[in-house]
Amino acid sequence: MAAVAIIGVMVAIARSTTGNPEAQATVTTVGYRLRRGWLWALAACAVAAFAVSLPNFPYARPSALEGRHYPVIAFQYGFEMPKTIPLNQPVVFDVTSKDVNHGFGIYAPDGKLFAQVQAMPDYVNHLALTFKVPGHYLVRCLEYCGIAHYAMQGAFDVR
Amino acid sequence: MSDNVVSRRVMWAYILTGLAVFALMFVLGVFMRAEQAAWITFDAGLFYSIMTLHGAGMIVAMALCGMGGLWYIMDREQPMNPGIAWGAFAAMVIGALCVVVAALVGHFAAGWTFLYPLPFVGATWAPWATGAFLVGIALVVVGWAAYCTQLLGCVLSKYGGLRGATGWDLVFHHDAFVASGRPEPPPQAFAALVVAVDGLFAVAGGMPAGIASLAHFVDPSVAIDPLWIKNLTYEFGHTFANLTIYMAIAYVYVALPRYANREWHTSPVLAIAWWGTLLFVATAYFHHLYMDFAQPNGLQYVGEIASYLAAFPPAVVTIFGGALLVYRSKMRWSLASIFLYAGLVGWLVGGVGALLDATVPINVSLHNTLWVPAHFHTYLLQGVFLFVLGWVFAMLEARSAIVTPLVVRWIAGLGIFGGAALLLLGWYVAGSQGVPRRYAIQPAPGPEISSWATIGALILAVGLLVTLAEALRLARAVREVRA
Repeated sequence: MAAVAIIGVMVAIARSTTGNPEAQATVTTVGYRLRRGWLWALAACAVAAFAVSLPNFPYARPSALEGRHYPVIAFQYGFEMPKTIPLNQPVVFDVTSKDVNHGFGIYAPDGKLFAQVQAMPDYVNHLALTFKVPGHYLVRCLEYCGIAHYAMQGAFDVR
Repeated sequence: MSDNVVSRRVMWAYILTGLAVFALMFVLGVFMRAEQAAWITFDAGLFYSIMTLHGAGMIVAMALCGMGGLWYIMDREQPMNPGIAWGAFAAMVIGALCVVVAALVGHFAAGWTFLYPLPFVGATWAPWATGAFLVGIALVVVGWAAYCTQLLGCVLSKYGGLRGATGWDLVFHHDAFVASGRPEPPPQAFAALVVAVDGLFAVAGGMPAGIASLAHFVDPSVAIDPLWIKNLTYEFGHTFANLTIYMAIAYVYVALPRYANREWHTSPVLAIAWWGTLLFVATAYFHHLYMDFAQPNGLQYVGEIASYLAAFPPAVVTIFGGALLVYRSKMRWSLASIFLYAGLVGWLVGGVGALLDATVPINVSLHNTLWVPAHFHTYLLQGVFLFVLGWVFAMLEARSAIVTPLVVRWIAGLGIFGGAALLLLGWYVAGSQGVPRRYAIQPAPGPEISSWATIGALILAVGLLVTLAEALRLARAVREVRA
């Protein structure tokens, strides 16, 4: 939608060159006033977006790490991880890798990407989640890890 | 031989080499999309070798295309030593050839990001291929560093050091500056300054990462912290790739006013905008590590803030300024001016896609999905590349006695914009559905969407061929005028 709006405005500006031309000074006088408004509008959008996004950052606070912990070890080309995760209970995946960088991407039963975190050697990334929908969750590697990257999958059930 | 002829030769060597590499990488890209659409099948190892080459090659291609013209433009402001430019060019071309050999002969397939320790663990390619790739990338970095150093020297010596080149007095002592009669740096000089400084900043990250990787290659007992090198890899990779558009914007600053019959002035606002670009291009790369929860949280906030703020200078000053320049002007529309103006649109559209991805909670659903290639292909293919085409046609149109027929403009325009729109939409739609990037075989709905995208790529190829034919026709006319 944003792309269509941008293209529409820019095409309209291009089409304005088919009419009577105006002096550059006239155009810039009005244009600089508009630019000030455009700057404040963008600034307001950026501040609002940051404020809204901040509480939804996925980085768990220490208090959020109190759920039951499940180790996940990624490797070329698979995952060592639990087969079952409890429904409606806070859980924490402790994700690492035994070889190269991988991605731990959890796809919900409806096929949507639900959550993800990187699996890195020498580091443990803590992904705190609460599953509210039961079903079969697919895990896909979301960091390029070698020539069978596309086939690297795992799965667990939430019940 | 006059200085002008020498600097033109430097420019055309960079740009034509860049465009030739672009053409080869484009063909490889079409093969990859066709494979993902299941139109053709080839071995996953070959797919990932091609992917590695395509990624590294395209970035180098776009860099060469921007470097040549910017060097030429700044050389006219303050003559530079062409020997250094040729040396940088040679280092980058030899580096690129090493990458080609590593990928196509040695089957190196660790991706252009070659995230440690991937090149060394579970490798399906010959060890020498890893060495050839690392040496190739190191040569590219050396060439880039030489280029940036020379460019920085040019800007600083011409405009009176850092104070003059940044427009400090223009902003803070405006009346005294105007009264002094000192010339302010033209807009393209600000682009050159930022490219040079941020380019060297990128090198400061890329060099340690390259040296550490080479050390590990020689002696595998040398241990490297994976998070440290990941930061450095993206600090170099993101900044280098991002700077391609800030090089190419110099083409718009110089050429678009000629077609609009107006002037693009330096102003305090423009200077401040480039200060912002200087700072935020160098700090936005943290958004590549949003899903590395081990990264200090403060850097994740910096990543989102810097990514947002990096959008302000182009959106509020450069692209807005370009739109004002064109609005109700006596615009002369030709292939050059169409490409230059359309590049501004592509930059803005790609920027919106990038901003969504740079918002951490949204990034959870988009990180390493096809949304990522969607937005960076938008501003590479419909931003940087169009600026380069615009500049090439501006140079040809200025010296040729013939004009491009309307029908050719329509065919080229429809092919390039229509084809690219379909190609890019494929990535955006699939990315929004969570289809992962860098999958040789994609899960549904990837293959079906890839089919449409491949059709888009083929339409784009037709548009590019028509454009190439027209460029050759104009070039022949230029030679006839000279004769």
